[in-house]
Amino acid sequence: MSDTLPRLVDVFRRVFDDDTLQITPATTAGSVEAWDSVMHITLMMACEKAFGVRFRAGDVAGLKDVGELVGVIDRLRTR
Amino acid sequence: MSDDVVSTLFRAVSDRRRAGDWPEALGLLRDAIRRSLLAPGDLERAGRILLQAPLGPTTSVRVLGQVTTTWIPPVLTALAWGDGIALAVTTGGFDTVLQDVEQISVDGAPDVLVLIPSPDRLLAGDDDAVSIAGELAWWEAVWARRSGARLVQLGYDVQEVGPRGVGLSTASGGALRRTRDMNMTLRDRLPAGGAWVDVDRIAGDVGRRAFYDPRGLRWSGQPWSEAGLVALCHHARAAIRAITTGPRKVLVLDLDDTLWGGVVGEVGAQGVAVRDTPEGEGYRAFQQHCLGLARRGVLLAVASKNNPDDAREPFFSNASMTLKLTDFAAFEASWSAKSESLVRIATQLRLGLDSLVFFDDNPAERDHVRQMLPDVCVVDVPDDPTGYVRALEAGLWFEAVALTAEDEARSAHYQAEQARVSAAAAHDGVEGWLRSLDMQAHVAPFTEPTLERVVQLFGKTNQFNLTTRRHTVDQVRAFATDPDTIALAGSVRDRFGDHGLVTVIVGVPGTEGTIRVDSWLMSCRVIGRTVEHHVWAAFLSEARARGYTRVEAEFIPTGKNAQVGTMYASLGLSRVEDREGHWFAAAIDDIPTPVTFVGVSPGSPTR
Repeated sequence: MSDTLPRLVDVFRRVFDDDTLQITPATTAGSVEAWDSVMHITLMMACEKAFGVRFRAGDVAGLKDVGELVGVIDRLRTR
Repeated sequence: MSDDVVSTLFRAVSDRRRAGDWPEALGLLRDAIRRSLLAPGDLERAGRILLQAPLGPTTSVRVLGQVTTTWIPPVLTALAWGDGIALAVTTGGFDTVLQDVEQISVDGAPDVLVLIPSPDRLLAGDDDAVSIAGELAWWEAVWARRSGARLVQLGYDVQEVGPRGVGLSTASGGALRRTRDMNMTLRDRLPAGGAWVDVDRIAGDVGRRAFYDPRGLRWSGQPWSEAGLVALCHHARAAIRAITTGPRKVLVLDLDDTLWGGVVGEVGAQGVAVRDTPEGEGYRAFQQHCLGLARRGVLLAVASKNNPDDAREPFFSNASMTLKLTDFAAFEASWSAKSESLVRIATQLRLGLDSLVFFDDNPAERDHVRQMLPDVCVVDVPDDPTGYVRALEAGLWFEAVALTAEDEARSAHYQAEQARVSAAAAHDGVEGWLRSLDMQAHVAPFTEPTLERVVQLFGKTNQFNLTTRRHTVDQVRAFATDPDTIALAGSVRDRFGDHGLVTVIVGVPGTEGTIRVDSWLMSCRVIGRTVEHHVWAAFLSEARARGYTRVEAEFIPTGKNAQVGTMYASLGLSRVEDREGHWFAAAIDDIPTPVTFVGVSPGSPTR
């Protein structure tokens, strides 16, 4: 089991400036109030820095939920 | 800045906000931003907080672009807040500049309009002239609809040079050529009072590969990377400052290890590094940069912890110095806190503290000023002088939209003012300064208690040293005890303190009533103060008293003592042409008495 999700919680809290934010693999953009298309890009940039990865242009567009984001990050991290 | 510190900062800001203490929260953010402690993502986060904050009276800024501008408001707001400027930034839609600017006539004009091009349309056609004329006409239509808003116009830049390759891209029809020609055209046609932001230059400074993120255009229509966006907003902030409050006006400089290498109180006015070594050349280049700023109207001031005379002396007596005292509008050299000096400078120049930019190599002083005077801009000075110019330029503190004759005259005005303010003291020309020093000398034969210091001076004095003979303690003692030798040592003090024993002159008997100067040297601490004239007069007086009628003296060049090469000629001695070396001679009664500002100390012997 990777540490990606717990670390991702910190990234979300930092980006959304909310120390109480809770996320699970089932969390979607629709369930976090400030998570719009603008903040999505900001979030992806923060993920790249936090995990030392670089997304391909196609990696971040069609993500269904946080679980899929974890999957993409894990795939890039094991390369 | 570590993640922990950032987390702590934002938690503290969050706590203050919840407690309703916005001023404290805003102060914490401003401090972190002005110290450049936040990475791009965190700067954006700080900016989003500021966008919701009660910043007080704000300057309204509307950003319109042929690209996506969505991320500009938080970053621009944050950077401006770090500079003490409250902005209310809004953006228009993607490539709807003309439609958005039409709306201004309905909604009212913002204070500032920031316009951002994209090269797509410019590069579309086949004919350079047609494309450039088309884009220019389009921008002029935008400018014409700004309803009094002040303009910040960004320039064009291209991410890739295109299929022609780099070399041909600069030829007619190429992308580089067309964007460069477009930029020059647009810049020249910019309405008066508008600010130009040179994106080509910014991209080059950041590094074009880091400035752009090729994924950005596909994701959101924004071409820049996070770092690129911050650099762009940094320049936009400076441009907004230039056309609203105006640029900062005063550059306040430390001296030791800032304008020159070394501590002048220790190495002396001639010992400071301002040329010849790589480090010295770094200081010289920085001085030249400062001089250039002064000539375009930025006021220079000194805030130095030094004895006032030590601080001023290199400007008078060190010929390698680029800056002169008259280049400064205010000069604070004392042992009081730098924050107090800065307040005095602002008061003297009748300017606010937010007009000051503070440049000091000492991190403790910088921190002190940051804490005490949040309105003063403090430059992050690197520990290598060759990086000083870049560090100062990087802050964009003196960006302006036009240079007026008034700007150029400003320095002269303040310098005159400064001269009046301090007329009685230090700056009323060299003579006034020397007179104000109230120097007194005590010149007397060597005695056993002073022997050690005399030997030390023989051993280490290089610059003011006519023969550079390194006499040993036995030789020096022999001079002191030989009845026919004139062996004098002089000590000097002035109203700021005692310099101690600083000069030695030794004359040995020659042929037929001639006294020959074997050695003459002086510590660099008192060069340029006419002490040498006083000592010379004392030497001649002693020689006359002993029955000598003629003096002969030699100058031995060493590579370090060039400054005294013309000493004997300037004292009225004649060159002895038919003798090997650099010999000078004169009848003692024919030698004029040189001008000196040194008085005779009460303890001085009278013979």
